[in-house]
Amino acid sequence: MNEFNIILFLCNWGPHVAFQTLQDRREKIPYEIKMVRIPCTGRISKALLLKAFERGADGVALVGCRPGACRYGSGTLTAQENTDDARQILNIMGVGEQRLRQATFLPDDAEGLFEFLKTFSQEIRTLGKSPVEVSEKSVTKAIDLQQVARAVSKYDIFSCQDCGKCSSACPLSLTGKSFTPRAVASAMIAGDIDSPIVIEGIWSCLTCGRCYERCPRAVNFPEFVREVREIYQDAGIKALEPHGGFFQSMMRVQGSASLNMDRWSWLPESVHLNMKSKILFFGGCAPYFDIFFRKFLGPQTQNILLDSLRLLNFFDVQPSVLSNERCCGHDLLWTGDERGFRKLAVLNAEAIHASGAEQVITACPECYRTLAVDYPRHGIETKFKVIHLYDFLNREIEKGAVGFKPIDAHLTFQDPCRLLQEEELKALPRKLIGHLKPRSFREISESETGPICCGGCAWNGCDAYVKAMQVNRLKQARAGGRDTLVTACPKCQIHLKCAMEDPFLGQALSMDVKDLTSLIAQSIYWA
Amino acid sequence: MQDLEEIKIIVTGFGGQGIIMAGRIIGKAASLVDGNESTMVQSYGPESRGGACNAQIIISANPIHYPYVDQADILICMSQGGYEKYIEQLKAQGTLIADEDLVNPADGDFDAYHVPATRMAEALGQKMMANIIMIGFLTAVIPAVSVNAARETIRHSVPRGTEELNLKAFAKGYDHGLAVLKGREKKAAGQTGAIA
Ligand code: SF4
Ligand code: SF4
Ligand code: SF4
Repeated sequence: MNEFNIILFLCNWGPHVAFQTLQDRREKIPYEIKMVRIPCTGRISKALLLKAFERGADGVALVGCRPGACRYGSGTLTAQENTDDARQILNIMGVGEQRLRQATFLPDDAEGLFEFLKTFSQEIRTLGKSPVEVSEKSVTKAIDLQQVARAVSKYDIFSCQDCGKCSSACPLSLTGKSFTPRAVASAMIAGDIDSPIVIEGIWSCLTCGRCYERCPRAVNFPEFVREVREIYQDAGIKALEPHGGFFQSMMRVQGSASLNMDRWSWLPESVHLNMKSKILFFGGCAPYFDIFFRKFLGPQTQNILLDSLRLLNFFDVQPSVLSNERCCGHDLLWTGDERGFRKLAVLNAEAIHASGAEQVITACPECYRTLAVDYPRHGIETKFKVIHLYDFLNREIEKGAVGFKPIDAHLTFQDPCRLLQEEELKALPRKLIGHLKPRSFREISESETGPICCGGCAWNGCDAYVKAMQVNRLKQARAGGRDTLVTACPKCQIHLKCAMEDPFLGQALSMDVKDLTSLIAQSIYWA
Repeated sequence: MQDLEEIKIIVTGFGGQGIIMAGRIIGKAASLVDGNESTMVQSYGPESRGGACNAQIIISANPIHYPYVDQADILICMSQGGYEKYIEQLKAQGTLIADEDLVNPADGDFDAYHVPATRMAEALGQKMMANIIMIGFLTAVIPAVSVNAARETIRHSVPRGTEELNLKAFAKGYDHGLAVLKGREKKAAGQTGAIA
């Protein structure tokens, strides 16, 4: 039996010739190496590299042509960048960068390739099996009709009176997508659960909750969608995961119990932690995002974590952190992978309990909502209180004795959908902005009936309609000479920055994007 | 009263601000709950009708033989008139605690705290509770009475039914006092901002 699995992504052009030479010579290529012939190493995305680990690879080698010899010009360079980013993320997750290697060989360098393969497989043997647990997928082929019926009655979809209030509130419907929650709901009541339009509808919903807020019959469409997604996943109907599903893979990998993660070693020494503290800071996934998007968007979401810790220190709180902090599970939950979510939730809850923390503070809206609401709702015991950083900050700031330096900007604010569930939470960012001293602040839209989400919650279903919606959002945000969009969620920052790249509108959409936590950290002082 | 043998306090403001009540709460807390000696004298005089009124409190570990305060360690001012009238009675290097919006003190040889007590009370919906906020602040910055004594005395001194709100006002003032002390400490250590 093959004990080890090494995936060799091998470029069709240069090194494949060398590989064939080895085969012709009947060289003993280590048997654990599985070769996958590819057109160019530049085409192996970070998502594919990670997917290999998610599906059980102990090592992955990306072998292509020398930089100057790439048939497509930039393939080798792209492969190098992808490998660097993926290695960094593997390190943080405790899988280890040594398991991913990139190399280049000329067609006539069979010896070199052979040496490389032997050394790499020896290295992997020394490292041992990958700590990643492969999650068995229980795919049941057909959609479980009983479960659908249960979901329909659990969320009382029958009570829909076909009024259409939801459709007139849904940002996707308003952007012109042929999708309305009402239509999907009625189709499902009528038993249509697998027509392409229904399936697409279920995967398109942003789960932003605007429809639920307005529905006179309190039909909780987003929660219903979440549950139907689970049923779909079980039936092998794949989610619409942007970026090749990189983030979902990353989260599934983190569901492995024996990872030895390294979440916080990047923190500067000026940040003071106390691992015995009763207060724990839960960071969330921001650091991975910055690495992933380094090349295109240059988001600064890791700084949100740093600035949160600085603010806690500013108010004399020295929290603990979890070096094995996993993703909270939000995205897996909302893209229908309940099993994956549960693994993460159980591991996080255990780690928090073991830390002795009584309070968990987080600055991420999704982490907040997931730890505070969804862990208990899904039966995961939490013997700690979850507090959003804004709540903490607001209480401290209201005690007085602090001031704020002027901010030379005209601000507006994008609400994060996951802080809209509770009135009190909804009010917090505005209270905080109220303390700041910008040149001006105005709501994105005075006439708007409640906030509209950034369109990218849970790394699900980004398409042309989502882009159009984001572009509209940015136009609103820029109106009236406002130059800085304040965000409160790493994903809002990323997705809206992405929309600014619209080639038709170019500069017309560009504005500064600043996270609220960072703005506060930069301007607060003891008066 | 950890380190002080005796503390002399003057509370002043205009009639209707609860100045006398504040004085009484401070004095009672010190004696009836903390177990120290305390005295209070109050003056109304012509000023009680809208002018400056005052309460003079002495807290001591030992018996007090004379209840009038000539030179105070602490002057709590809730009106400009009161400030002008009594600032001369604050001893050198004493502590002035003044309502930020109602008193505009000149520089002097004293340590000044500016407390937005009336504004904070308005935010609570009870302008009347500025005096309780001041007691909270005093309790945080000066070891005259213990937190527990102040809270207990407030609970028994304020009109029935308003206990919780008054305790909330006390907490506001107290937290603000702690925040101000923390700010002073941080500034002294050169850590003014959140980003080093
Ligand atoms: S708002 Fe509610 S009741 Fe009206 S159509 Fe939508 S789901 Fe049905
Ligand atoms: S949750 Fe949001 S995106 Fe989904 S149907 Fe409702 S309004 Fe539309
Ligand atoms: S908006 Fe941009 S960053 Fe967000 S999911 Fe879509 S393509 Fe990715």
